[in-house]
Amino acid sequence: MIDVVMVAGTTLLVIGMMATIVNRDPFDKLISLSVLIAGVFPFIIDRGYLDVATATALIAPLSTIFTLMVCRRERA
Amino acid sequence: MIAIFVCAIIAVYAGLRVVFEKNTMRKLPFLNVVSFAITGTIALLLPHPLTILAAAAYFVGSTLESNAIASTWAGGIRRDD
Repeated sequence: MIDVVMVAGTTLLVIGMMATIVNRDPFDKLISLSVLIAGVFPFIIDRGYLDVATATALIAPLSTIFTLMVCRRERA
Repeated sequence: MIAIFVCAIIAVYAGLRVVFEKNTMRKLPFLNVVSFAITGTIALLLPHPLTILAAAAYFVGSTLESNAIASTWAGGIRRDD
């Protein structure tokens, strides 16, 4: 794998993980979690698992949307 | 070769901007930038016909995700009844 892309994916994974742990607001947690998921994809693609990458790209936003149903505000 | 480097560096820069931004609403455009850069990286990484399908699926999914977060954070339209 190209070294620059590997370093970039690892950096996105680590900063997404740290921000997901540190943040207190649930929306900030979800945004940091999507940064983490973005860092996973170059590693999945590099091994050639393109069907796994497609399925993950379609399932991960669904899990985020189901989590958003929990943390929405009360009647605005 | 230089294009994938540019995409990776833009992804890391926008990821750092997402993490170190305090305002939640200002995090979301940079999250879109991360999505675009990762889509470019996916499309350029492996020369295979299914790669463009994975890139398109990731593009659609991540845009849907960030728009869902934004609209839930905004709280929807205000009803005065």
